[in-house]
Amino acid sequence: MTATTTAPTRTRGPRPALGTYVALDLRRQVRDRVGMFFIVALPSFMYVVFGLGSDDRVGSGNVAMYVMTSMATYAAVTATTTVAGTATVEQTMGWGRQLALTPLRPLTIVGMKAAVAMAVAAVAVTLVFAVGAVTGASGAASDWVLSALVIWIGSAMFAIYGLAICLVFRGPNTPGIASGLIVVMAFLGNLFTPMDGLMLDIGRLTPMYGFAALAHYPQTDGWLPLGDHDPLWLPVANVLAWTVIFSLLALWGVRRSRART
Amino acid sequence: MNTPAIRATGLRKTFRAGDGSTVVAVDDVDLTIAAGEIVAFLGPNGAGKTTTVDMLLGLTRPDAGTVEVYGVEPGAAVRAGRVSAVMQTGGLLPDFTVEETVRAIAATHGRSDRVAAVIERAALSEIADRRVQACSGGEQQRLKFALALVPDPDLVILDEPTAGMDVATRQHFWDTMRADAAQGRTIVFATHYLAEADEFAERTVLIARGRIVADGPTADVRASFGGRTVSFRPPDDVVRPDGLDPAWLARVEQALTPLGVTGVEVSSASLEAAFLALTGDASLADPAPTTPELTGATR
Repeated sequence: MTATTTAPTRTRGPRPALGTYVALDLRRQVRDRVGMFFIVALPSFMYVVFGLGSDDRVGSGNVAMYVMTSMATYAAVTATTTVAGTATVEQTMGWGRQLALTPLRPLTIVGMKAAVAMAVAAVAVTLVFAVGAVTGASGAASDWVLSALVIWIGSAMFAIYGLAICLVFRGPNTPGIASGLIVVMAFLGNLFTPMDGLMLDIGRLTPMYGFAALAHYPQTDGWLPLGDHDPLWLPVANVLAWTVIFSLLALWGVRRSRART
Repeated sequence: MNTPAIRATGLRKTFRAGDGSTVVAVDDVDLTIAAGEIVAFLGPNGAGKTTTVDMLLGLTRPDAGTVEVYGVEPGAAVRAGRVSAVMQTGGLLPDFTVEETVRAIAATHGRSDRVAAVIERAALSEIADRRVQACSGGEQQRLKFALALVPDPDLVILDEPTAGMDVATRQHFWDTMRADAAQGRTIVFATHYLAEADEFAERTVLIARGRIVADGPTADVRASFGGRTVSFRPPDDVVRPDGLDPAWLARVEQALTPLGVTGVEVSSASLEAAFLALTGDASLADPAPTTPELTGATR
């Protein structure tokens, strides 16, 4: 039996051990082998299909590197969105109400889930880049590192996206909706097929465009496959704007999920 | 300690129903619970128990009224670890093990030192490595109880705590709760099991249709409503498979009316009688006698 005393002056508990929580949640995530296969292995496979052996020059590297960057971007986005999508399941199970009875603030909960998502994203990006490195993608080493960092850090934005979608549209199909929208956004974001003209103008306003453009920036300095050019401020503004929008949606979703309906 | 564990005044909460109309779930509830009390929050399903519990925990914002837990707003009391709860609809993650669940929640409280203690306390040691999805309803309920003990709270609010437990587990659970209460923990539990309120609570708060209809020592609540029932056995020839002969009942009422007897009904002398009288639909029972008798109960 543990000693129980009332402490009338107690107003603040001990500091939460956020790292421990994230580690436990990450381990739970990685135990899902089927899910991990699709997050980590599928984009590598797509790189092999689309990018293998394309040695034409693009910016400081070759086409294979360009495709590798695109697929790593897609991999990171899929990883963070899928992991964040498990938040839906957690909400359905009422885990959000359980967490609401802890000292954690809504923003902390969002942040911890994003951390788990980013850990998985790091694995996905590393794997696609590793496959690229051994199959002929080439370019300046500093551009590789810079691209990988941009992809990894930028994918945080899509962890927030996944949380937002799954918290706002609650239901068993939500993770599917989130993943489906990602494919649409990846096309509009110039990741799968080079765009120009009106489609490009529309695409520039969509959430994945800025992120993908920044991922390619070290290699291409903003030049697009069909001859257009993006000044650096454009993708930066896109990323900032959509990060704010996703964050507000996610916060609203967390608040709403605490109330019993 | 002078600060009450809970002080709620004028609590009101409405929900919008699917067809656009509003439903009043909790209507003008006043409730003060002193530190160290064991209080049953008793009412039928849909009476507003869980909504009230949610407001006491800061999970739902009341439309009107105020809640203080140990003198501060509920969210602050939760963050300080002074209050915790076993919630009816609070959930667990099916792919965590029992121990991982406890460790995860302990981490959020910064109380990883409590993991072993609460696992033992909730009798979970033997199933610590089991996945939550493989646990029975009663085992999951014990796990939720373990989570509630993690911050070593001064006040525990339990919403239907023994749902899914078998008789022996339920007995063990209440033994644990009694030991806790003896050490000064305040315990508030919502239940629709009359026997649980009768057996474990010093004080019973009856809630029906969002309102508190009785509040007093459990023995008084039982005595003042159950003790006044006069029961008698009807002759065999008026007892039919579908109930008593209505014509005979009408004659009984007619005969009793000159004696000042109103609201003849079939009931047994127990807390259950009080429960039904107070929580039943107003159109079915004569509501007039309940109001004066309420005063008797709280006296």
